[in-house]
Amino acid sequence: MLIGISLISFFIMHLAPGDITASESAFNPKASEESRQKLRALYNLDKPLMTQYSLWLKRIVKLDFGNSFASHQRPVLWETKDAKGNVSKGMIQDALPITLMINLIGLLIIFALSIFLGVVSAVNQNRWPDRLITIIVFVGFAVPGFWLALLLMYWTGVTHSWLPISGLHSAGFEKMSHIAQYADLFKHLILPVSISSLGGLASISLYVRNGMLDVLQQDFITTARAKGLPENKVIYGHALRNTLLPLITIIGLSIPGLIGGSVIGESIFAISGMGKLFFDAVLMRDFPVVMGILTIGSVLTLFGNLIADIGYAWADPRIRRGISN
Amino acid sequence: MYSRYLLIFLLFNITSCSDKKESVYNYEGTFNSEKGGTLIDAMSGEPSNLISMIAGDSASSAISGNIFNKLIKYDKNLELAPELADKWTISSDQKTITFYLKRNLQWADGHNLTSDDVLFTWKLVTDEKTRTPYGSDYKLVDKAEALDPYTFRVNYKKAYAPALDSWASLQILPKHILKDEDINHTFFSRKPTGSSYYKLTQWINGEKLSLEASPSSVMGEPNINQLTSRFIPDTSSQFLELIADNIDLMNINPIQFARVIPSRPDLKNKLALYKELGNSYTYLGFNLKHSPFNDIKVRQAINYALNKQEIIDGVLLGLGEPVASPYKPGTRWSDQNLHPYPYDKNQALKLLHEAGFNDSNHDGILEKDGKPFTFEILTNQNKQREMTAVLIQRRLKDVGIDVKIRVIEWASFVNQFIKTGDFDAVILGWSLSLDPDQYNIWHSSQQKPGQFNFIGYNNKEVDQLLEEGRTELNPDKREKIYHAFSKILLKESPVIYLYAGYGLTAMNKRIKGIESPAPPAGIAYNSYEWFIPSALRRNEITP
Repeated sequence: MLIGISLISFFIMHLAPGDITASESAFNPKASEESRQKLRALYNLDKPLMTQYSLWLKRIVKLDFGNSFASHQRPVLWETKDAKGNVSKGMIQDALPITLMINLIGLLIIFALSIFLGVVSAVNQNRWPDRLITIIVFVGFAVPGFWLALLLMYWTGVTHSWLPISGLHSAGFEKMSHIAQYADLFKHLILPVSISSLGGLASISLYVRNGMLDVLQQDFITTARAKGLPENKVIYGHALRNTLLPLITIIGLSIPGLIGGSVIGESIFAISGMGKLFFDAVLMRDFPVVMGILTIGSVLTLFGNLIADIGYAWADPRIRRGISN
Repeated sequence: MYSRYLLIFLLFNITSCSDKKESVYNYEGTFNSEKGGTLIDAMSGEPSNLISMIAGDSASSAISGNIFNKLIKYDKNLELAPELADKWTISSDQKTITFYLKRNLQWADGHNLTSDDVLFTWKLVTDEKTRTPYGSDYKLVDKAEALDPYTFRVNYKKAYAPALDSWASLQILPKHILKDEDINHTFFSRKPTGSSYYKLTQWINGEKLSLEASPSSVMGEPNINQLTSRFIPDTSSQFLELIADNIDLMNINPIQFARVIPSRPDLKNKLALYKELGNSYTYLGFNLKHSPFNDIKVRQAINYALNKQEIIDGVLLGLGEPVASPYKPGTRWSDQNLHPYPYDKNQALKLLHEAGFNDSNHDGILEKDGKPFTFEILTNQNKQREMTAVLIQRRLKDVGIDVKIRVIEWASFVNQFIKTGDFDAVILGWSLSLDPDQYNIWHSSQQKPGQFNFIGYNNKEVDQLLEEGRTELNPDKREKIYHAFSKILLKESPVIYLYAGYGLTAMNKRIKGIESPAPPAGIAYNSYEWFIPSALRRNEITP
C-alpha cells in the first residue's frame, strides 16, 4: 500500500516540468548551463525515473529521508550532528510541532463547540436558536479565511493593539519567565486557531445535529422519557452518547489532516508550519522534502484508519462482540 | 495577493482610526548621529545558506552582505571602490590583476585575514565539487597566487573585463575555519564567521534572524547595533506590522506608496518613503527566428506603437522610468544621448505598410500575403507583467495587430517555451547589470537551449563590440564600446524596453541618516551610517 502511494506520488511529482536547478539559479546570466547540468548530476536528476525511485526507496526503508535539495541542505526529517557537534535541525522536525499544536487545539475547539451547537440545534429543531446556529456556522464556512484574518489582524493588532499581528513569539521571548512565555504563545495563537477552526464548525455541528435528531426519534428515547427521566439526562445521558459514535470515524480520518497546515493561513500569520513547507518544496521542486511529507502523510492516513476501527470497537460493544465471535 | 482587499479595507478605515493612541514620538527635528539601537525589518523569504557562492536567493545575499567582505565593491555611484583591497593594479597587457589588501585585517574571531583566505576562496569557488552556479567567471583565471600576506594576484589567459566585477561579488571566506569542511554541507552556512560590520547572533528557523555589530569589523563600527530580520511571507501582514510599529522598514508596492500611505495622516507622520531605481528592467522580447519579427521594420513599428509612459503610469502608478539601453540610468554605461522610441502611431503604421502589411479586407487587422498579423505574448505569473501585456494588447490593436496573452507558471515557462524556442513574444525582465558586459544575453553564440540569447539575436557588429568590451579593462574605452552597442540595440529593437521600476521602501522615521534622493546604488549603500536617536528607540522588553 505504502509503496503504491509513494510510487504514484513520485511519478506525479516528476511529471511537473522543471527541477530544482530551474528555480535555484533561474535566469541569472552569471549562472551557466554547465553548472546547472553539474547540479543535476549531483542530485541524480539526470538518471531515468525508475532509477531515481529505487534510489529513494533504498534510503527510505532505512528511514533515511535524506537532505533537502535547497542550498541549505538541511535534513528532511530529523536533526543530524556533525563531527564537531554542530546540530542541524530537520525541516519536518521544525515545522511539525507547530502545525500539530495549532491543529490539535483547533480540532478540540471544533469538536467541543460543534457538539454543543449541534445539540442545541437538535433540541430546538426549526426554532430560532437552530436557524441562528445554522446561519452562523455556514457564514463561518463560507467566509474566505484570509480576508477575515486580515480584518481581525487589523482590528485587534493595529487599531487596538490587543493581540500580536503575526508570528508565534514576541521580541524578547527568550528573556521572559515561563508563565509569560505561555501567555505570549497563547496570545499569538488566538487568531490563527480561531480562523482555522471556523471553517470546520459547519460540517461537524450539522453532523451532530442530524445524528441527534435521528437518535431522538428512536424507541429507547421514548422509553427513557416514559420512565420519567429528566430531559437533561435523556439528552446528554442517552441520546448524545449514541450520536457521538459516528464521530469516532471522523476523528480517525482527521488524524492525517493534523500534519497538514494551511498555506494561506501560515503565510498570513507568518507561522512556519507544514503547509508552507510543503508548498515551497513543491514550487522549488525539492523532491526529498515533498516525498518525505507525502510518505509521513500516507503512513498517518493508514494509522488513522486503524485508530478509527479500534476506537469503534472500544466504544461500541456491538462491534466488539462481532469481532470476538 | 491580498493587497487589493487590504487596500479597500484600509480606505474604509481612514476615518475610524483617529481613536488610536497618538504616537508618542516626535520624529521631526535635528538629531546627531549616535550608536546603538535595533532595526527590525521584514523579509518575505528565509535565507537558505549564508555562504553566498552556494546560495542563490536574494534573502541570503542580503544577510551575508552584512557579514562578509569582498575585495572591492561598488560605491554609491556604482563605480568600483576599495573594500578589503585598498588598491588594485592592472598589468599593461590587461591579463594580470594585482590586489593589495589593507593591513591588520581581522576575522570576527580574531584571526588575521590575509591573501591566503582570498586564494582559498578562489579555490573553493572553482572546485568541481562545490555546488555553485557561479563558478564560470573564476575558472577563467589561469593562475592565482598569494604573493605575500597582503598581495593577491590573478592571471587570465586572455584579458577579461568582467573580472573586476566578479571580484566585487565574491565574498571572502575564512580559510582557518573552512579548510577541513565540506563546503556543501557545513555548519558554517548557518553559523558564519565573517569580517564585516555584523555577526550573526541568533537564527530561529521560520521566525527571525539577528545580527549584532562586530567589534572587530574591518569596516569600522556601524551606528545601529542590532539588525533583526523577521520572516513574514505575506506582504499584507508585513504592512500591518509596519503600521503597527512592530517593524521599521519594508519594501512596499506602488499602491501603498502612492495611495495608501499619503492618504493617511497617521501613517504619513511616522513613515518616510524612499524610491530608488531598481536593478532590473522589463521588456517585450521577440522570437527573431519567427516571421515577421525577423523584419526590423516590424519591430520598430511595434516600438513606436507602444506608449511606455502609459504603461508606467498604469502598471507602476508612475513609479518607474523608461530606459533606452540595458544599463541603469545615471551610471556611466547608460548613454545620455539615447532616448526611448516616442509613441507615434502614424510612424508605426507607415513602417508596417513598408513591411508589407495592409488591411486589405477591412476587418481592422493587418494582413500580409493573406495572413492576418496575430501573435501571442507569453509571460509568467507576475501581476505587473500581466497588466503590461494587457496595455500592449490594446495599443497594438490600434495599429491593427491582434495580440493574445498567455500566462504560465515559471518552471513550465522556462522549460516548455523558452528552452524550446516555442514562442512569438515574451514579457520578461533582465537585470540592469553593474558590469556592462552582456555577452551571455546578446552574443550570437549564446543561443543553445538553456542559454540566455533565447530570442535568437544575431548581429555581427554587436558580436564584435561585445567581444571587444570583454577584453578591455579601461573604463573610458569600455564606455565608448558599450555606448555603441546600446545604440545598435535600440535601433534594431530586438527587444522593446518597457520600463525600469523603482524599488520602493517605507521606513519608520526613527531611522535617520538616509540619503535622499537615492544615489544610483540605492539608499542602502550607507546603511552602516544610519542611526536611531535614543529618544526615538522602541521600548526594549527587559527581563
